[in-house]
Amino acid sequence: MKVSEIVEKAHLKPINDFKDKEVARVYISDMVSDIITGAKPNSVLVTLQTHKSLIAAANLANVAMIVIVKGRQPADDVVELATKVGIGVFTSEMDTWGFAKRLVELGF
Amino acid sequence: MSPHSHGWQMTDIRPGYLVLEGCFECGARTSFFTPEPVRPIDEYREGQHFWIYQGSFQAVKFHLECSSCGARVDLDDMTALMLSTCQDARCAVAQLNARQGGGSTVYVALCADSRHASGHCVSPEGIDALNEYFNQDNEDPGRKVTVVPCKLCNDVDTCAGIIIADAGLTEIY
Repeated sequence: MKVSEIVEKAHLKPINDFKDKEVARVYISDMVSDIITGAKPNSVLVTLQTHKSLIAAANLANVAMIVIVKGRQPADDVVELATKVGIGVFTSEMDTWGFAKRLVELGF
Repeated sequence: MSPHSHGWQMTDIRPGYLVLEGCFECGARTSFFTPEPVRPIDEYREGQHFWIYQGSFQAVKFHLECSSCGARVDLDDMTALMLSTCQDARCAVAQLNARQGGGSTVYVALCADSRHASGHCVSPEGIDALNEYFNQDNEDPGRKVTVVPCKLCNDVDTCAGIIIADAGLTEIY
């Protein structure tokens, strides 16, 4: 499934310009030390985290997109870094569990 | 390294703490990884240094192993990875950063001895394997991850970057 399709069907709010990559799997984590060892390439990374190190870890893991749940907003420098490394960042008003259920409904 | 193309996987993944210490007498800094469930905060003398605890963050260590040939690269000499944002014109890492394209990034593999007094840093084999691992599934020609040893930094202690450790993350709560 493409990033744009998830954005539309899960009612996500884009925070930056994004590449319409193919998304193959899901990873949920709020710990960057866990993300670099657990997240796989082409994942949608679901997190509550907005710290800049999130982007440093997500880039190493080569995730396709980041969804920040519960409507939390990343700071401008976090968005700027995500844009530089080519990762689309989105927000959802849902909590982690609600958004995870939505992804299951979409076929993940 | 053997001539075939390795398919690296992380192995022996160990959560723990990245502990930072500073020498009360000379200002040197050091760091180490501990897998202990409780972070050590003791002050102690080691040779000419008197180390004082400065902070710690949850972090992770791992090795790399090739799923095809079984080759294993030990990364015990790496304490953390840091996304470089260095712009110091005297620094080779900053110069490398400046030469990178838009979607490419430079990560510094940090060893325990920021001043490299021992002459050791993260091994060349480790750096090679990290570069291969973090680029092996990349399908975007505009994206490249470059990993360099921290001895390439002009001054690791003042080099700008984002260390991948769970520092400051409790702010979300």
